[in-house]
Amino acid sequence: MVSDVNFGWSSTIVKVILGATKTNGGTRRLSYQIGGGTTLPFLEGTPDFSGPLIAFEICDDPQNWSSIVRNYCQDIVNDCGEWAHAADSVYGADMIRLYLTSTRQRNFSDIASVGKTVESVLSKTSLPLIIEGSNESTIDSEVFLKCGEAGEGERLLLGTAEAGRYRSIAAAAMAYNHSVIAQSPIDVNLAKQLNILLKEIGVARDHIVIDPYTGSLGYGFEYSYSAMERIRFAALKGDADLAMPVICSAIDSLTVKEVRDAEPAIQDDIAVQWEFTTGLAAAAAGAEIICVRHPRTIPLLRKAFTNLKSEKTDMGGQ
Amino acid sequence: MRTVTFIPGYRKIDAEQGSTILDAAQRAGLNINVVCGGQGKCGKCIVYVRSGKTIFDQQKYKRFFTDDELAQGACLACQTTIESDLQVFIPDSTSIQEQKILIDGQETAMEFHPSVRKYYIELQPPTISDPSPDLSRLLWGIQKAGGPSAEKIYAPLEMLRKIPAILRHSEWKATGTVALVPGGYRLVDVQENDTAKRLYGAAVDLGSTTIVVYIWDLVTGKIAGVASNYNRQISCGEDILARVNFARKNGLSKLQALATESINLAITTASNTAGIDREDIYEIVVAGNTVMTHMLLGIDPAYMISEPYVPVVRRALSVSTGRIGITCNPNGGLFVFPAVSDFIGGDIIADILACGMSEKEEISLLIDIGTNFEVVLGNSEWMFSCAGAAGPALEGGEVLFGMRANPGAIEKISIEPGTLNPLYTTINGIKPQGICGSGLIDLLAELLCTCVIDRTGRINTGIANPRIRTNSHFPEYVIEWANRTGIGKDIVITENDIKNLIMSKASVHAACVTLMNQAGINRKEISTIYFAGAFGNYINKKNATIIGLIPEISIDKIVNIGNGAVTGANIALINRRMRKTLDEIACRIAYIELNAESSFMDEYTSGTFLPHTELTLFPMVQKLLDTCRITKE
Amino acid sequence: MALKALDIYKLLPRKNCKECGDPTCLTFAMKLAGGKTDVDLCPYLDDAAKAVLGATTRPPIRLVKLGIGERSFAVGEEFVLYRHEKTFYHPPGILFKISDTQTTEDIQAITTRVRDESFTRVGVDLRFNGIAIENTSGTPDTFARAVETVEKIADLPLVLMARDPAALSAALMHCGTYRPLIHAATPENYKEFCALAKNHSCPLVIKANNIDTLAQLAKDCTANGMQDLILDLLPESLQAFIVRSTTIRQLAITRAAPDLGYPVFLDASVMEMPDAAIALGIVKYASVIISYPLSPATARAALTLRQNIYTDPQKPIQMNPGLYRVGDPKKDAPVLMTVNFSLTFFTLQGYLESTRVPCFMLIVDTEGLSVLTAVAAGKLSEMLVKDSIKKFAVEDEVSHRKLIIPGYASPLSGRIEEATGWKVLVGPRDAAEISDFLNEEWKQ
Repeated sequence: MVSDVNFGWSSTIVKVILGATKTNGGTRRLSYQIGGGTTLPFLEGTPDFSGPLIAFEICDDPQNWSSIVRNYCQDIVNDCGEWAHAADSVYGADMIRLYLTSTRQRNFSDIASVGKTVESVLSKTSLPLIIEGSNESTIDSEVFLKCGEAGEGERLLLGTAEAGRYRSIAAAAMAYNHSVIAQSPIDVNLAKQLNILLKEIGVARDHIVIDPYTGSLGYGFEYSYSAMERIRFAALKGDADLAMPVICSAIDSLTVKEVRDAEPAIQDDIAVQWEFTTGLAAAAAGAEIICVRHPRTIPLLRKAFTNLKSEKTDMGGQ
Repeated sequence: MRTVTFIPGYRKIDAEQGSTILDAAQRAGLNINVVCGGQGKCGKCIVYVRSGKTIFDQQKYKRFFTDDELAQGACLACQTTIESDLQVFIPDSTSIQEQKILIDGQETAMEFHPSVRKYYIELQPPTISDPSPDLSRLLWGIQKAGGPSAEKIYAPLEMLRKIPAILRHSEWKATGTVALVPGGYRLVDVQENDTAKRLYGAAVDLGSTTIVVYIWDLVTGKIAGVASNYNRQISCGEDILARVNFARKNGLSKLQALATESINLAITTASNTAGIDREDIYEIVVAGNTVMTHMLLGIDPAYMISEPYVPVVRRALSVSTGRIGITCNPNGGLFVFPAVSDFIGGDIIADILACGMSEKEEISLLIDIGTNFEVVLGNSEWMFSCAGAAGPALEGGEVLFGMRANPGAIEKISIEPGTLNPLYTTINGIKPQGICGSGLIDLLAELLCTCVIDRTGRINTGIANPRIRTNSHFPEYVIEWANRTGIGKDIVITENDIKNLIMSKASVHAACVTLMNQAGINRKEISTIYFAGAFGNYINKKNATIIGLIPEISIDKIVNIGNGAVTGANIALINRRMRKTLDEIACRIAYIELNAESSFMDEYTSGTFLPHTELTLFPMVQKLLDTCRITKE
Repeated sequence: MALKALDIYKLLPRKNCKECGDPTCLTFAMKLAGGKTDVDLCPYLDDAAKAVLGATTRPPIRLVKLGIGERSFAVGEEFVLYRHEKTFYHPPGILFKISDTQTTEDIQAITTRVRDESFTRVGVDLRFNGIAIENTSGTPDTFARAVETVEKIADLPLVLMARDPAALSAALMHCGTYRPLIHAATPENYKEFCALAKNHSCPLVIKANNIDTLAQLAKDCTANGMQDLILDLLPESLQAFIVRSTTIRQLAITRAAPDLGYPVFLDASVMEMPDAAIALGIVKYASVIISYPLSPATARAALTLRQNIYTDPQKPIQMNPGLYRVGDPKKDAPVLMTVNFSLTFFTLQGYLESTRVPCFMLIVDTEGLSVLTAVAAGKLSEMLVKDSIKKFAVEDEVSHRKLIIPGYASPLSGRIEEATGWKVLVGPRDAAEISDFLNEEWKQ
C-alpha cells in the first residue's frame, strides 16, 4: 500500500511529570505528563497525550512587562497571586509560569520574599507551576534553593539553566525533586551539550525540559523552528541526550516592531496573532509547553490544539 | 643619529631618533620575538631600557607587565621610540632561541634513483681522422659510461664555454654531471679528472618558522649531514599573513632574500659539519607551503591571501639554483614541490609522500597542525583535503602563559586526582616559564579527567582547592606558584585560555569530519591517522584523543611521521620515480573550501565540547571518563 | 537519499579528461553531489550510470507553475522533510477565495486588495498571490462573470473551483490562457477535467481524502496526459491535514511513491480554524493555500511566518553594516555595537525603541553570525570594531568615546579598548535588559 510511510524512528521522547497532586505528595489539582511521543507532533493519537500545554506567564515585578498585557489585565498584574488565579480561572491556562523579576533588580537581597511569592502563587492557583528565578550567578544559589523549598513536593519546573550557570539550579531541583528548563541559544548541539552537563551532575533525564530559545515571529523564529525540529528528529532517531520535551516561550512577541507600531485599534489583535502563530508553529515542530503572555491567545491555541488531537485519523489507507 | 647598545653582547647600532628599538635590534641582527609583527598586540618583544631616553606608553600596554617590570624599564621594543643614545637589555624570553626543531623524518627505506648522476670519462683526444666536436666526444663518453644516450642530453651555453679548456687541461679525463630535467637530460657540470664521488643533493623543508636541510650523498645514497635554523623571515612578521602584508608594503625582495639566506645558512652548516664543498651540491629539493615557495621564487603571493585566493602557480617547478641565490653548484637545479591550492602546499604533498597514503588502498587521515592546519583524507584512488585556521592556541598563542616549545616550556603534564597537584616536565628541565602546545593538550585532558572543568571547559569553582580560584571574575587553575617558576609569577590557565583551546581543537575535528562526510565514511573506516609536523610529534596521542582533537581510532593506529615535509623532500631528492608522481598526486587531491561548506559551522559547534557533543563518536574516551568519575567519588 | 561525492565518483569514468570543465572526476563528483553541475556534461557516462545519477538529482516533487506574468509563481520542487536539512525552495501561494455569488463590488474590492496590498519586512515586499473563485452559484454564466470581473482588475494567478465542467469551460473562455489552476478532479470526473486542463495547458488539482486513492488518481491523470498536478487531501481536521501532508512529503522525497510527487493544496476556508490551518499549511508542506480574505493581524502573521519558514536556514538574513539611529540621537547619545545578524539587530532595535533613549546602533559585519557564534568563530574582532568605527565615522557623530558591547562579546572588551581607544562598557547578554542597563549604567 502506497500510504505506508516509514520515517525510520526508533525512540520515544522521555516523559516528564509536571505538578504533583495530593496522591503524589503535592497540592495541585492536576498533574501533567508531557513527552512520550514516538513520531512527529500530531501524527499519532497517543492515548495519554493531552496536546501541548499552554502556560501563562506572569511576574512579581511588572514594571518592564509589556504594556499591552498590563493594559489588558489591569491592576491584577501588581499582585502575582491574583494574577495567577485569573490565569487559572478566567484565562484558562494549563500552567502558570512565574518570573521572579523582582530578583533581577540591582543588588537584590531579600531572599525571603522569594519564598513568600512562590507560596502565595501556589496558594492562589492549583495549577502546576513553572518558576523563573534569578539571573545573576551571585544570588542564583539562594534564590533557587528558596524556590525549590517553597515548592517542595509540587514537582515544579524551574528555570533557567544555561551552559554557563546550571549548577545552582540543578542542585535546587535535585534537592526538592523538581524539573529543570535547560536553555541554549538556538542550536541543537548546544542544547545537547547542556543536557549532557545536567546529566553528569545528576539531573535525571525525566527532569529536564529543553528550551531551545524562541525567536519571535519575523525575528529569528525560523532558527528556533529548525532547532526544535532538529531536536525532535534527533530524539526520534535515538539520541537520548535530546529526547526531552521542548518548551517554547517567544518572550519578544509583544515587543516586535509589527506589534509596537500597530494602529491602536488592532494592536491587541496583532499581538495575539503573533503569539498564536508562533505557538502553533512551534507545537508543529515539537514544542509541548507553549508559553504566552496575552490572555486572549489562550483560547485560540486551545481550540487549535483540540482540532489537532481529534480522534486518530487514518493515514488514508484502509 | 643615536647609538643603541644591546646587552648582553654589547652589540651597537646607529638608529634614527624616533625609530623603534625593534627596528634597531633587527638591523643589529638580533632575533626578537614578534608574534604580531610589531603591532603592539602580542606583548612578546619585552626589552628593558637601562639608560637613555625613550617614548613608550606604559598606560596603554600595562596589561603586558607587572608594576615591578615597568619600574625596571620594561617596554615593548616595537612600540618604543629611540630619543637618545640607549642601552637596552634583551632578556632571554624575548630573543628567539633555538626552539625544539623537528628534524627527524621517518626512516626512509626508499629505492635510490637520484636524478643527478656523475660520469667519470677518459676520452681519446681528437685527431685529424677523428675530428668530432668536443661536445659529441664528451656526451658519447657519458653514454658509454652508462649515462643517457648522447642525443638526449642538452648542453647549455655556459657548459659549451667551459668544455674545451677543461678537457684539454685535464688531458681528456673529466667528470660530467647530468641531471634529469623535464623533457630530457641536461649537462650541468664538467669538471677535470675524477670527481664522481663528490655528488650531493639537499632536501629542504622550507617552513614558515623553521628550515630543515638534509644533505644526501647521491652516490652512496646516505645522509651526509643535517642542519636546521629559524626562518629569518620571522623578523618581518611571525605568521604568513603578516609577511605577505610586509611584502605588500615593502616589496618582496627582502623576504625572498631572507628565505634564500635561511636555506643557505642551513646548507652551509650541514655542509661544514659533513665536510662537503657546497659546490658539489647539484640539486636542491624544496617542500614548503604555497606562500613560502612563492616567496622563495620571488613570485608575488599577494593574490593568495584574499578572495578568491589564487596562487600564481600550482605545479612542480624546476629552476636553476643560481637564479635564486642558493649557495651550491651554480648550475645545480632547484626542484619545488607542487601544490594543491593556496592552502595545501608542497609541504603537504611531501607529507603525503612521506606517509605513503597515496599508495595505499586503506583510507588514511593526515593531519598537519600549526597555527593553520591542513587535513588530507583518502587512499590510492581519491583524496580530499582542506585547510583552516586552528588559531594560535595549540601553539601556545592566545593563552596567557602559552609559549613556543622553548626551554622552560611545560611540555608534559598530569594532574593528581584529589590533591589536583600537577606533575610536569619542562623542556631542558629548567624552571617553568609557560606551557607549550603539547603541555596544553595534556592539561586540557587532565583537567577534564579530574573534573576540574566540565565538558564545555568551564572550571568548577565549587571545588575547594587553592589551585582553583577566581581572578577578576575569571576562574583559573594554578599550575605552578610564582616562587617555583622561572618568571616570578603564578603560572595559570584561565577559563578563557581553555575556551580558546577548545575552539582550536573543534576546528581541527570539524575539518576532519567535513572531509569524512564528503567521502561518506565514518571513523571506523580510517585505518591510520598520520600526524605530521612538530606539533604532532610531541603531543600525547591519547590526550589528543581525549580532548577530541582528532576522530577516535585505536591509539596504536595513530602514527607520527615527524617532519613529513623533509621526509617527502628526501624521497623526492633520491627517487626520481616518486618525484614524477608528485604532480599527479597533487592533481588527484580535491580541495574543499571549509567556509563554503554549510555543515562546517554545525560540526564546529558540535566539537566545542569535550571530547565532542556526539559522545558515541568517542567510545574509548567516554569509558575512560566514566571510570575517572567513579574513582573521584 | 542524496549520493555522496565518493559514491558518484565511483560511477564516473575516473579518467580526469577535464572535458566537463572540472580538473578531475572527483571535483566533478563533488559538484554533482551539491547539485551544482549537470550529469550530462560528462561525455563518457554509460546509460546505467546516467540513470542512477539522474534519478537522484531530479526533483522528487514536480515544479508546477500558476498564472503568467509578474505575479505568477511556481510551487513544488522540494527535496526535504525539514527545512534545516537543506532548505524549502518554493513558498506556498496564499490566495483569497471569493464566491461567484458575492456582489461585483465585493469581488472587485477583494481583487484590488490582493493586487495592491503589500507588507514590507526586511526589505522584502510580502504579498498574497492570487484569487480563488468558487462556483457556489452552480451556474456557469455567473461563474464566468465573476472570473471576468477579477480578470478586468488584475493579472493574478487564479484557482477555478467548480464541480461542473461546463462552468469551468465558461470561465476558461476568459482566463484559459493565463494558466489558472483548476480545482478539482475526482476519480469520477477526472477524464473530463484532464481534457479541460490539457486543452488550456492548465495545472489541475486532484482531490481525495485517502492517500491511496489520490495516488491512483494521479496515475490515471498522468495516463491521460496531465503532468502538472496538485493534490488536495480534503482534510477533515487540522490533524488530518498534518498526517496526510507529512505522509505525502515523506513518500515523495524518499521516492517511495513517485505518483505522489506533486505539491499539496489546502483550502483553509473550509477548515474549522482557518488561521490555524494557514499557519500549519505553511510549516507542513502546503504549496497552494486558499483562504477567505484575512484580517490585517492574521495577514501579517501569516506572511511573516511564510517568509521565516522559507528563508534559507544556511544563510542568515543579514543587515547592512552601518551606524543606525534610534530616535534622534545627539552628540552625547550612547553607541551600542552589535552584529549584523538580522535577528540580533531587530531584537535590540525593538528594545532600544521601547526604552525611549535616543541612541546609535553600530552594526558590524559578522557575515550574519550571531554575537555568540561570531565571537567563537573569530568573526567579531577588535579590528572589525575599530575599522567599523572609522568606516562609519562614529567619532564625528558623538562627542564621547564610550562603546557599549553585547554581553556575549565581553571576552573582547580589553582588546577593543586597546584597539579603538574607546572605553568599553559590557552590556547585558539579553537585549531585554538593555533598558535597565541604559538607565543604570549609562546615566551614571
